[in-house]
Amino acid sequence: MIALLILSPLILLAALGAVWKARPVHAALLLALTLSLGGALYIALGAGFLGLVQFMVYVGAVAVLIVFSLLITRPRDEVEEIARRPKSLLPGLLCTLPLLAVLLYAVGRNVPETTTEAVELPIKRIGELLFTTHAPAVLAIAILLTAVLLGAALFAREPSKKP
Amino acid sequence: MNPLAVLLTLSSVLFALGLFAVLTRRNAILVLVGIELMLNAANLNFIGFWRFGPPDPQLTGPMFVLFGIAIAAAEAAVGLAIILMVFRHTRSTNLNSSDSLHG
Repeated sequence: MIALLILSPLILLAALGAVWKARPVHAALLLALTLSLGGALYIALGAGFLGLVQFMVYVGAVAVLIVFSLLITRPRDEVEEIARRPKSLLPGLLCTLPLLAVLLYAVGRNVPETTTEAVELPIKRIGELLFTTHAPAVLAIAILLTAVLLGAALFAREPSKKP
Repeated sequence: MNPLAVLLTLSSVLFALGLFAVLTRRNAILVLVGIELMLNAANLNFIGFWRFGPPDPQLTGPMFVLFGIAIAAAEAAVGLAIILMVFRHTRSTNLNSSDSLHG
């Protein structure tokens, strides 16, 4: 509970920075910070395995992928982004705040009774479930990731010059 | 204070922040950053309900998170590849510059 109360404001601050920073590289690095703090929260909640998966996949792969894409494309529209802000702020808030209000209302109204005793995620059980109950899903994910690998390589490769 | 309520509030605000980024950002890569924030908020809910809900020997919540992370990684890879392809055509990742369907 203490870890939750410490980490929640930090996660929110980092996420706010990721959403608000005009410089894209700063936003991407703050996203990496948000995701790693989220991984720390998973570990604090007893799901250490998922925290490590979050570190490896999100921070190690996705965030780095985003930073590299920013390096390749080198966006130079910070000035335009800051100039455009007052115009886009109101519609953005108009769409977001009602949703947030509904979500917070739902959370405040019916949160179920909680168990507070410490729970640890059993990694052995995860392995068993992945290879028995969820085996078809694992196979589907494997096929999906292969398709993604081939598709991304196909998309990103330089088009061949015709002679 | 109910810890589940704190966690759900955190994930609601994270989701709203992600949606705000998707709606207001014009750089396609930063829109993807918003989408990642929203996916992460959903994962946080699954973990919260597993941790503070009734005991579940089938571990449905953590399993969802595991598959969700895999899908999110796949989505980010394909999304960035498409953005790079568009960038090669228009020399920009600004979404306003790629509003027509012909290259």
